[in-house]
Amino acid sequence: MELSPENPLTAEPEIETAHAEEFVEQLRCVTDTLPSRINIDAQSVEQGLAKLVLTLIEFIRRLLEKQAVRRMEGGDLSPEQIEELGLALMKLEARLQELKTQFGLSDEDLNLDLGPIGRLI
Amino acid sequence: MSSSFDQIIVSEEWESNELSLLETLDHVLSRGLVIAGEITISVADIDLIFIGLNVLVSSVETAHEVLRKRQTE
Amino acid sequence: MKLYTYCLVEDLDAFDATTRGISGAAVRSLQIDELAVLVTDFNADTVAVTRENALDHAAVVRSVLDRTTPLPFRFGTLVTEQQLRSYISARKPALQTRFAHVRGCVEMSVKIIREVSDEDKTEVRDEITSGTSFLEEKRRELLGTKQKTIEASKIETWLREQVDGLVRDEQVTMRPSEKLVLAAAHLVERDKIPQYREKMTAARKNRRELHFLFSGPWPPYSFANIELEFKTQFGVS
Repeated sequence: MELSPENPLTAEPEIETAHAEEFVEQLRCVTDTLPSRINIDAQSVEQGLAKLVLTLIEFIRRLLEKQAVRRMEGGDLSPEQIEELGLALMKLEARLQELKTQFGLSDEDLNLDLGPIGRLI
Repeated sequence: MSSSFDQIIVSEEWESNELSLLETLDHVLSRGLVIAGEITISVADIDLIFIGLNVLVSSVETAHEVLRKRQTE
Repeated sequence: MKLYTYCLVEDLDAFDATTRGISGAAVRSLQIDELAVLVTDFNADTVAVTRENALDHAAVVRSVLDRTTPLPFRFGTLVTEQQLRSYISARKPALQTRFAHVRGCVEMSVKIIREVSDEDKTEVRDEITSGTSFLEEKRRELLGTKQKTIEASKIETWLREQVDGLVRDEQVTMRPSEKLVLAAAHLVERDKIPQYREKMTAARKNRRELHFLFSGPWPPYSFANIELEFKTQFGVS
């Protein structure tokens, strides 16, 4: 098909919705986690590394939680074991939260998009 | 992200065009070609790990450099 | 001196030299191999993430869309000319494949909000102090998430069926636990836009329980990613 000045697109992308307020609320998360100045090519290496490491830990933590729930449902853990496991995971969650705060990272920052597997969170 | 960054100001003057702006931001900030080295603006898909590897390589080199300097001090 | 980059263009003639870019600065076209890059000369090390700059970036990329399909850079890309040249030379084949893929198309966006039922909201409860109740709470959350993931997948499948035959490619992001459950980018051939719009209008009527946002046409931001090709070249799966 031909691209030509006779076949112009509209001047601006059109937006069409019956629920503007709702979408504004949902899309605001994009702006909430932005720094005020960026250079995409030269962000701090340490920050990027922290994010990478914490994302991986978060991923593993969630797998561990799922596994623990499965074991609990499977009925092969004693009440004491369930309690211990739960406490350990609770502490892990709290510790990770501390680390996130320390590095100024939000949940959204660690939300890996794993492609076909979907998003982490 | 450092704790000293300022948020994008979302104020009253934006109300009428806010959705349009947010849609534009969603496009230009989260997508598009990236020249290697991008790390923090958004957590993209599996690219994070791939780009992260570049980061890891340079971080390891930096670490070695720091260690080397310390040893010679 | 750095360059702020807006987009890659196949067809140099398509550029209008009067377009203003970031902070009202001039935009020029830089020829690298057979491609052109729209850039602004930039003196600082960072770009302010402001409404104006984001809109300026979008406007520059948009300005060529009438006549050609560009590959947009992400907002905030500041590089030296040398870095830019290396980047392009190293990725020539991948970039050419990308251009071929998006040629003649634009991007149309669909975002869908689904109301999350109240039962999904966790009740106000006493602080969890026991390991057992912690796990039980997690179990409740996971069951809820599983259900929502199934529902989200159904919406994704439904949407794909609606655009069957009308789109060349799609990029879908799903967040099963959120209100904004799905965001899709569709790569649509320009002459199919009226059909696409008609189809979306009709489709939305069949799903009254979902809230839709349609936007477009956009330059193909969501389809510019060449990292996949890059990975394949280097055997990373």
